Amino acid sequence: MYDQIDQKDLSFVGHDVPRIDAIEKLTGEAAYVSDMILPGMLHAAVKRSPHARARIVRIDTSKAMALPGVRSIVIGDELDYRIGLYVVDKYILAREEVRHYGEAVAAVAADTLIIAKEAVRLIEVEYEPLPAVLAPLDAINIDDPAKPGKAPLVHPKLGEYDHVRNAFTPQPGTNVANYTKFRKGDIDKGFAEADWIVERQYTNPSVQHVPMETHVAIVQWQAGDRITIWTSAQSPYAVRNLFCHSFKIPHKNVRVIIPYIGGGFGGKAGIGIEPLVACLSRKAGGRPVKLQATREEEFSLLPCRSALTYRIKTGVRKDGKIVAQKMTMYWDSGAYADYAVNVTRASGYSCTGPYEIPNAWVDAYTIYTNKPYGTAYRGFGHVEFSWGLERQMDLAARTIGMDPLEFRRLNTLKPGSVTLTGERITEHTGNVTKCIEEAARGIHYGKLTKEEAARQKKTGWKIGKSVAGLQKAPAMPPFTGTAIFLKMNEDGTATANVSLTDMGQGTYTSLAQMLAERLRMPVENIKIAFECDTDRDPYDWQTVASKGLLIAGNAAILAADDLLANAYDMAGQILRALPCDLDHDGKGVFVRHNHEKKISFAEMAAGYAYPDGNGIGGPLVGVGRYIAQGLTNLDKATGQGNPALDWTYGAHGLVAEINEETGEYNILKVCSVFDVGKAINPAEVRGQAVGGMIQGLGTACCEGYIYDAEGRLLNPSFTDNKIFTAMDLPEVIESAVVETAQLDGPFGARGVGEHSMIGVCAALGNAILQVTGAELTHMPIRFEDVWRALQTKQSPDAWIVKSPVKHL
Amino acid sequence: MLCEFDYLEPTTLADVLEILGQGDAGVRILAGGTDLLVNIRAGLITPKALVNIKKTAGLDTFAFHPDRGLEIGPAVTINQLITNTEIARRYPLLEQCAEMLASYQLRNRATVIGNIVNASPSADMAPALLCYRAKLTLTSKRGSRKVGIAEFFTGVKKTVLAADEIVEKITIPASEADGKGGYAKLKRIKGHDLGIVGVALHKKQDYIRIAVSASAPTPILAPDFQAKDSPDYIAEQVLAAIKPIDDIRSSREYRRFMASVFVKRLLEEVRA
Repeated sequence: MYDQIDQKDLSFVGHDVPRIDAIEKLTGEAAYVSDMILPGMLHAAVKRSPHARARIVRIDTSKAMALPGVRSIVIGDELDYRIGLYVVDKYILAREEVRHYGEAVAAVAADTLIIAKEAVRLIEVEYEPLPAVLAPLDAINIDDPAKPGKAPLVHPKLGEYDHVRNAFTPQPGTNVANYTKFRKGDIDKGFAEADWIVERQYTNPSVQHVPMETHVAIVQWQAGDRITIWTSAQSPYAVRNLFCHSFKIPHKNVRVIIPYIGGGFGGKAGIGIEPLVACLSRKAGGRPVKLQATREEEFSLLPCRSALTYRIKTGVRKDGKIVAQKMTMYWDSGAYADYAVNVTRASGYSCTGPYEIPNAWVDAYTIYTNKPYGTAYRGFGHVEFSWGLERQMDLAARTIGMDPLEFRRLNTLKPGSVTLTGERITEHTGNVTKCIEEAARGIHYGKLTKEEAARQKKTGWKIGKSVAGLQKAPAMPPFTGTAIFLKMNEDGTATANVSLTDMGQGTYTSLAQMLAERLRMPVENIKIAFECDTDRDPYDWQTVASKGLLIAGNAAILAADDLLANAYDMAGQILRALPCDLDHDGKGVFVRHNHEKKISFAEMAAGYAYPDGNGIGGPLVGVGRYIAQGLTNLDKATGQGNPALDWTYGAHGLVAEINEETGEYNILKVCSVFDVGKAINPAEVRGQAVGGMIQGLGTACCEGYIYDAEGRLLNPSFTDNKIFTAMDLPEVIESAVVETAQLDGPFGARGVGEHSMIGVCAALGNAILQVTGAELTHMPIRFEDVWRALQTKQSPDAWIVKSPVKHL
Repeated sequence: MLCEFDYLEPTTLADVLEILGQGDAGVRILAGGTDLLVNIRAGLITPKALVNIKKTAGLDTFAFHPDRGLEIGPAVTINQLITNTEIARRYPLLEQCAEMLASYQLRNRATVIGNIVNASPSADMAPALLCYRAKLTLTSKRGSRKVGIAEFFTGVKKTVLAADEIVEKITIPASEADGKGGYAKLKRIKGHDLGIVGVALHKKQDYIRIAVSASAPTPILAPDFQAKDSPDYIAEQVLAAIKPIDDIRSSREYRRFMASVFVKRLLEEVRA
């Protein structure tokens, strides 16, 4: 829904409006589930597997149950419920077999957390360790992944599991949870046209989301199977729906409440610990039970970002045109499919990047291994493949002796270009070429500034510059929808109820701005209710995929229009005017040709009352409903179809200095540019640009799971799984927007929540490559890796190491 | 969520020594708590009692005496050390090592002596104290003894401190003041991180002293060097003194390489 309105005519949209939740967050008054204590509440703790794969021979809970204060203990054998977003493959607690290090095998609810932890210690579990399959390439028949291989099966009963059939294809008898393929053009003909072919293998490890608030839920399972769930989750309706499917309980019986959320980043997108806590509450006679993951549990009890190993083969002509590209991706799902199968699908249809490649071939596999499982993570696969793809662009350009920036400009998607899935790009889709050019301008690409030249001379550290393009569309069902309830309050302020959550990304402030713009009242007069409650708030699919602003933004506009239509209808009667002659300001409705004739929103809020007491109209509300349109499922044989609600394009320019003797480097500057269609709140766009960029650089520089040879996680805490801090910010950060209006976006806007993470990792790799020749194909890039690459010109992969680890 | 323990707040050193004198290994001294509480939470330590010494008279000693040198008591925090500009000026290496220790918030709590008593191979205060040849006063009901910092560490997280003893103070000789020097620490991020390898260098008129962290079971002090020794010779001697390992933070090879790079970098800085 795009009305072409000049920025000068917009009062609230396009302005730097402060966060509507700033006060409670800055004062610490915002209450999170972590803060909540309910009357009679019990505390839970989890017994976890010290093995990557083992048969559970025996679990003895008798000593734990005898501990005073213990109220309930559950083990896998008594919980015959399976959970799964796309492939229903996971029990609430491991049954018969544990499939990854850290997997839950039993749980306790007790009067205090100290008692619960002591009870967990007293639970005896006898395991028979089994050979674990750890590396995805070992887990499959590499010659034909659809056929059985030699590795043990993580899920021998894969063929019996229910799964979403129109999107996913598990391969029973193998460790392949899903196989997605894309075919465009004629790949053999394309490579035959190529003058040069560049082929490389790239890898990324698993990483942790690291939300400030770890996963936490309180569940109360009351008589008559009435269940209330308070949880730190991104998507109240997804939690309710998946919960009800597992337990076969009517949706009306289950109420999910989500107050403020201390960060999600994809790790709280689906369902997590809620079913387990529910079972503890049921067994404890309906007392509310709280489970909060420790930071260490975040790393292996709860899911991570999937690791990825992939090969890219790119064919280019001497004139710089990419003519063919073949990509084979092996996603390491870990023990359960969760979101990883959809990461495989969604990053698959995007993995030619913001470039037009006439002949493209993609095989993408999601592979089960005996490791903590992968889920959604900001970027949804794009950070991972962009790492290799954008490295590949630089290598291809260098191969033919062309400047990498020029090479990118030549190959970008432009109006008329066709994407991997057959979608035709238009002038309204967005302008990635301009993003790339602006990012290049921002870092003074291709030369050193006077200051940079002086710095290089003084330090001896070489300064490199690079620009990487990026793009992403929301990964969502083609029929994704949402609704918003808007209520006029008795004083003329307005309150909106949504089930899209705001976990820090700032969408609620943007929604308030759009409502303010439409209602013509100050943003301060509008409240977006922070606590989401499935009993009261209307449906929203999930808060994921950078689609919230577009879909909920449109719903907000429609809700405002609906409320105004109701107000005009009522005001027409009161003012004795036709609605077509009415207009409104922030206070109320008036007759356009006679401003003296007016009636305030406050007077109509509860329905209008005449002086004699007669009432008309009824309470003033508006409902906005919106659903994505024109999207389709993808053809399973070719991957052709229309999956993209919108494409947000962007680019990162990066400047780094590298010590060629030691491999140390500093990131001096990052310039980010995104085609957001319309920046509803430029300050929030910058917040996303900086936040995502620093999160991306963390994964580029230092983050990553490290396992020992038995599949035990060696770094499940901040001691050895470092994330970037404020001190690690680049010395200079710039962000800018390009605004090519999205015709079905609210005020022309697109989402930008994930995009700032994509591309920046490859930009760092390319800057290092540019000045040192060190070819690094594994993320993260540790100083030692650069040092080794400088010496050997070979990339090391030391992420499976052999050292002893303490048992859990 | 920790565990149950008694909490004691003695006001005099005599009371502290009396409590420790029972010789119970379950009784632990609480100063900054930045290592202790982490270890309790991880279940590595389950103390019977914690003895808070922050309110004990005399344990916050922090003064420079022209004759005795610099004295630091066990309640002195890292940030107290950093913000004392006079001491930071006289003992620049102390400040440099302190600045590299953890984060600002942790430095508000963490103590200089706690960092030493914890005896991590990567203890950031150790290289400075080794270079300055600090002496520790270990006190118990049985009396006091002085131990050189180089003799204090016996292994990873192991020291000569007995269960009934407290490090009453660290003394740094006045003769070590007013040198030049620096601390180079290899980290994975610029924010707070344990050192992968750290090298401290202390130069006076006629000698150079180098200590290395995170490169052996204990922080290491290399033999004294003469001011005129060549960088290659010095680096070679330092490498002979350390025994780094392979672990998930780094390879042994890279630790050795960076130790030698840091030695040369620091030498260049003090000779510039």
